[in-house]
Amino acid sequence: MANDPIHQFQIQDLTGSFNLGGYDISFTNSALFMGATVTVITAFLWLASRKAELVPGRVQSVGELWYGMIDNMVNNVLGHDGKKFFPLVFSLFSFVLVANMLGMFPYFFTVTSHVIVTASLALFVVALVVVVGIYKHGLGWFKLFVPSGVPLAILPFISLIEIISFLSRPISLGLRLFGNMLAGHIVLKVFAGFVVSLGALGIGGILGAIAPLAMAVALTALEFLVAFLQAFVFAILTCVYLNDALHTHH
Amino acid sequence: MADPRKPETSESEASPELGDLSNRLKDLSARIAAEKSDQSAARRPSNRYDGAKDYSKGYRLASEFVAGVLVGGLIGYGLDYLVGTLPLFLIVFLFLGFGAGLLNMSRAANRSQPTAEELRKMTPPNADDEEED
Repeated sequence: MANDPIHQFQIQDLTGSFNLGGYDISFTNSALFMGATVTVITAFLWLASRKAELVPGRVQSVGELWYGMIDNMVNNVLGHDGKKFFPLVFSLFSFVLVANMLGMFPYFFTVTSHVIVTASLALFVVALVVVVGIYKHGLGWFKLFVPSGVPLAILPFISLIEIISFLSRPISLGLRLFGNMLAGHIVLKVFAGFVVSLGALGIGGILGAIAPLAMAVALTALEFLVAFLQAFVFAILTCVYLNDALHTHH
Repeated sequence: MADPRKPETSESEASPELGDLSNRLKDLSARIAAEKSDQSAARRPSNRYDGAKDYSKGYRLASEFVAGVLVGGLIGYGLDYLVGTLPLFLIVFLFLGFGAGLLNMSRAANRSQPTAEELRKMTPPNADDEEED
């Protein structure tokens, strides 16, 4: 039913199912909206940089703001030698932001409301952190798990906790984005559902529906903010974790 | 701001019915100036988003903690699955995960709040001296 708040997250095959080597690789609504996200980003940035002028127009200044914000973030958190990670952070931020924003359209699918998508992004980031850390510091990078100045008796204990703490990074990174988007969309749908069900009850119901309607409007505004904030947090935590790998301090 | 008002003041001194107006204008511009300095001091636009920022910070700390416990539990369960001592490692690693979650949370809370405003003020970290260890 349309009133079911979970229904919006259902994955649907759009073209019928394809199998390749035992894996289902059919084109789903999730894949469609991932494609749409990338298309929107590419089209917008192409429009923004198509005819670069000294005095930017509207589209160009939004593009410059977008670029400048991430540039600023990478510069501040990662320092000068972090410049090579700018394309990665920019792509991650743009993908998450535009996927979140596309999800705010009614009847659109929210790619980031599926834990497999956000967990893949987060795992990729943390795998990169490990690779960069080992590439930069060699095996000395593993000293990260052995804090200095800890008595030998409890060192194994502390190391275990440090390892669990490190392993929980991709989970908290992915879970946060997924949880925010999922919870936000469910709450929106529930309040919107109240309006419809109450409205069907006659005049008293319509009067009673005013409160959930106001709530739904306010929540929509909040969701837009959350969509942006979560993309921002995802990008900045990527920077912070990469910074840990680049400049390990014991 | 003061310059365009000058001729008007001298004019209003000549015509008494405008004297009240010019006083009100002076009063108004003084109030606007006071309001403006108040605004720049309190950084108005950031106040509007404080609620959402706190919400996201709270959510962040909660997810750090939950992730620690989850990973601890998963490792414990995995070890039990391999060795076949089901509740033992699960319990031990749940407690370790609890510790890791607290550690995560305190680290996340001590980290400077990720806002664009504060980032701009942050000085870029000095990378060179820590590189060689």
